[in-house]
Amino acid sequence: MGGMQRTLNTLKKAILQNWKQILLSGVSLACFVAGWWLYSAWLHGDWPFEGRERVDFAEYVPYPWVVLQVFIDSFQHVDGSGLYMGEHVVASLKRIFIGFMLALAVAVPAGLLMGRSKAAQAIGSPIVELLRPIPPLAWVPIFLVVLKFFWGPILIVFLGIFFPILLNVRLGARSVDPVLIDAARTLGARRSQIFFKVVLPYTIPYLMTGIKVGLGIGWMCIVAAEMLGAVGGGVGYYIFLTAGMSQYTTMYAGMVTIGLLSVITTGVAGLFERRLNRWMGMK
Amino acid sequence: MDGNEVRTCIRIEHLSKVFSDNGRAVNALDDFQLEVNDGELICLLGPSGCGKTTVLRIVAGLEPKSGGVVTVHGRPVASSGRERGMVFQEFALFPWRTVRRNIEFGLEVKGLPEEKRAKISRSLIELVGLKGFEDTHPKELSGGMKQRVGIARALANDPAVLLMDEPFGSLDAQTRNLMQRELLRIWQATKKTILFVTHSVDEAVFLADRIVVMTARPGKVREIIEVGLPRPRDRTSREFMLVRGKVLAELDEEFEKARAKELSPD
Repeated sequence: MGGMQRTLNTLKKAILQNWKQILLSGVSLACFVAGWWLYSAWLHGDWPFEGRERVDFAEYVPYPWVVLQVFIDSFQHVDGSGLYMGEHVVASLKRIFIGFMLALAVAVPAGLLMGRSKAAQAIGSPIVELLRPIPPLAWVPIFLVVLKFFWGPILIVFLGIFFPILLNVRLGARSVDPVLIDAARTLGARRSQIFFKVVLPYTIPYLMTGIKVGLGIGWMCIVAAEMLGAVGGGVGYYIFLTAGMSQYTTMYAGMVTIGLLSVITTGVAGLFERRLNRWMGMK
Repeated sequence: MDGNEVRTCIRIEHLSKVFSDNGRAVNALDDFQLEVNDGELICLLGPSGCGKTTVLRIVAGLEPKSGGVVTVHGRPVASSGRERGMVFQEFALFPWRTVRRNIEFGLEVKGLPEEKRAKISRSLIELVGLKGFEDTHPKELSGGMKQRVGIARALANDPAVLLMDEPFGSLDAQTRNLMQRELLRIWQATKKTILFVTHSVDEAVFLADRIVVMTARPGKVREIIEVGLPRPRDRTSREFMLVRGKVLAELDEEFEKARAKELSPD
C-alpha cells in the first residue's frame, strides 16, 4: 500500500515537473493523427473535402478511429478470417526473446574481447564489418530454406539485435578509463580480475544502450523474419497475411501492434537501465 | 634492538627512461638517483614534463624503465604490487562501488574473507574521516572526500610505500590545505613511507622531510633540500619562507632552462 502510494507520488511529481514536454508530445501525436485523418478524408472525398471524387485506392488509407476499432477487436476475438492478434503477439514476443537472448550470449563476450584485445579485434572486425551492412531482410530466403521456419525467423531477428549490442559493448570496453586499470593494478588485481571487476562493470551502461537500440531494430526485422511464414505465426506474418487478403484496416492494426510492442519492450529496457544505473551509482 | 637504525625503503639507481615519440627517441629520465628511508615523506618537485610522474609510475610498476635499478626493501621492482600503493590526481575511484567497496577492492582481489575486509575498511574509514559515508557512491562526494577514499583504498593493502601523484592537484586551495594537514596526520598514524609528486613549492615545503628538485628534461636530481622544520609548520613563518625561497630559486633556474629549450627545439 505504502509502496503503491509512493509510486503514485513520484509519478505525479514527474508529470508536474515535465508537463511542458508531456504537452508537446501530446500535441505532436494529435497532429500526426489529424494529418492522417485529413489525408484519409481527402482520398475518401468526405468532410472537409466534400465534392471531391473518392479516389479508388482510398481503402488503403482507412480512418484512424476505424483502425483503432479493428485494433481493439483483433485482441478481443478471432476475426472472420480465423486470425487472433493475441496469439501472434505471443509468437513474435517469443521470437524476439529467443533472438535477444542468443544475441546477448554471443555479442557481449565478442564485444568485450574485441574491445580489449587487438588480436580479437583483428580476427573479428573483417567479418563484422562485412556482415553488418547487409540488411537482415537479404538473408530471409536463405535462412528459411536452410534453417526452416522455426530457427530461420529467429536468426533474422538475432542479426538485427546482435550488431547494436556488439558495437556498443566493444565501444564500452575500449573506453575504460586507463587510470582505473592502473588503480586496480596497484591494488594487486590480476588480469582476469581487472576484466571482471573493472572492464565488465564499466561496460554495463554501454550494453544497456546496445540493448535498447537492438530491441528496436529487432522489431524492425520482425516483418521480414515472418514474411514468408513462421512456426506459430507472428505479428509480421499477420501483416503479410491480411495485406494479401486486402484487409488493409486489419493490416494497419498489425502495424500499430508492432509499434506498441517496440515501445513497450524498449521502455522496459529503459526502466531496467535506470534501476541499474541507480544501483551502480552511475547516474 | 635496532632502535635508531634507518632502513632504506626505496632505492633508485641510474634510472633512465626513453620514450618513443613518433619514432623520435625522447629522454625523459637520465641517471636519476634517489634513496628514501623507511617512514620518510619525500616530495618530488620539478618543472612540468621533467618526468616526476614517470619516476612514480616506474616505482609503482605501471611503466617499464629503460635502464637502472629500482628496489623496494631490497626487492627489485618488476611490475605493480600491493606493497606499493598509489594515489592518483584523478582519484581513480570505481564509480559503481560505494566508498566501503572501493576501499575493500585490494582486499577483495587478495581473496580476504568478508569479515576481515569489513574490519579493515571500518578502521580505515575512521582513520581518513569518512564515517557515515560508507555506502555513498563516489559521484556524491566532494573532491576532498574522494581523495580520502583514494588514500584509504591505497592503505587497505598495508603497503610499505605510498606513491602519491599530485593527489591534491585538482582540489581548491582551502580543501588542499586541509588535505595536506590530514595527510600528515594519517602519515604520522600509519608511519608509511611516502613519495609525493607535486608542482607546488608551498605544498612540498609544508609536507616533506626532504624535497627532491628535478632538472628539466631529461629529468635527474638537481638538488635535495632538507626542510628540517618542526611540524605543524606555519606557512607564514620566516623559517618557512626561507626554505620556500631556496626551493623557488632552484626551481626558477630549471623553469628558465625548460623555457629556453622550448623556444629553440634542437
